[in-house]
Amino acid sequence: MKCSAMFGILLAVIVLPAITWAQEPKRSEAEFVTDHPTVGDPLPDLVVYDPNGQEVKTSDLRGHYTVLTFGCLT
Amino acid sequence: MFVYKSLAHPELVGNYVQPFTLDERLTHARQAVKKLGATIPWIVDPMDNRLKHALGDRANSEYIIDPTGTIVRKRAWSDPVAVRRDLEDLVGQVAKVTKPEDLGLPVVLTTAEPATNVEVARVSRLGMFPLIAQPKIAQGGMPFYVKLRCEAELTVIDDGKGKLYLGFHLDPFYQVHWNNLSKPLRFEFEVPDEIRLSETSGEAPRVKAESDVNPREFLIDVAQWPEDKPIRLTVTYFACTENDCREVTQVYEVHRRRDADGGAAPGAAFRGLTSEAMLKLLLSGDKNDDGQLTRSELNSVQRPRFADFDINADGILDKNELQKLADRTNAQALRDF
Repeated sequence: MKCSAMFGILLAVIVLPAITWAQEPKRSEAEFVTDHPTVGDPLPDLVVYDPNGQEVKTSDLRGHYTVLTFGCLT
Repeated sequence: MFVYKSLAHPELVGNYVQPFTLDERLTHARQAVKKLGATIPWIVDPMDNRLKHALGDRANSEYIIDPTGTIVRKRAWSDPVAVRRDLEDLVGQVAKVTKPEDLGLPVVLTTAEPATNVEVARVSRLGMFPLIAQPKIAQGGMPFYVKLRCEAELTVIDDGKGKLYLGFHLDPFYQVHWNNLSKPLRFEFEVPDEIRLSETSGEAPRVKAESDVNPREFLIDVAQWPEDKPIRLTVTYFACTENDCREVTQVYEVHRRRDADGGAAPGAAFRGLTSEAMLKLLLSGDKNDDGQLTRSELNSVQRPRFADFDINADGILDKNELQKLADRTNAQALRDF
């Protein structure tokens, strides 16, 4: 594996979260989980987009279970 | 469903920079779909970051929504194992668990090699925070081939005094480079009397190589900057392909206000960082201040790598192991970034 790729992984798993801890206001996971909207609240009704630019309403997600994941691609 | 939002770590792998337009965000998302090969659908947060803001502004959070549109699970950091467990509770067990290796997904790191790997002095900006720099986007105007990232020390944000960082980064999506035979990038501030800066204009230094894709960076000393006075910045550069160079002039309004959606650009911040400083960063998760890290002091992203760094396998990342990790990361940063 190239060093730069390896370093990317190192950054991603070890150092990035450290930076994030250092730079973001400290809010515990427990606080985040109880902040609204929380379990039992409706998902806010918003208009977002699919990757082709078509509007998607979050209310359209009703009818089945949906896992929404905010990720860190970079 | 993956949510594309403002980048949490711009400039890290692949030198991706924060998109300025929805079209650029959509392009990022489409490329991610293609590169990652996942069949999981994506949604893209609009430029006002409404979904991110509405759902708690976390970089890697996760929600499960039931068929009535009600939130039934919520966690600050996504955890695939926990999600599987949740779904088994909510929906039931599946006959066969699909593993990542069953999907034949490409193993992709979003690396993008520079067109020419040349030495261009980089600026360390550890401890700086992104500022709001609004690009003035004209209808039908040229794309922002080069994107300004503006950061500042906290003292600038709080008191209007300190170091201000300007980084002009080529957006890899436009596949342009600097042609160093043409005029270097130049910027100019329009500053009213009540703002005092060490420089009100600047020109990127000449680079020996004919072309490269490294950012052009500047550090400005701010002596006085009232909070309610945004600064207008005009930048002029040549965006070049193999066949053509276009002269581009674009304008930003820079505010003395933190951009909460700007993410952290740690890849850049590490340049020039000593291994002592790196060690300090690693220890920022040391909750009991004993100079060591246990597995429980790592978060769910770091935790899977714990065994790799626990050289003597005693369940603790002691000072020696952390120092080795800091040295190694630092040495690779100097060599590869």
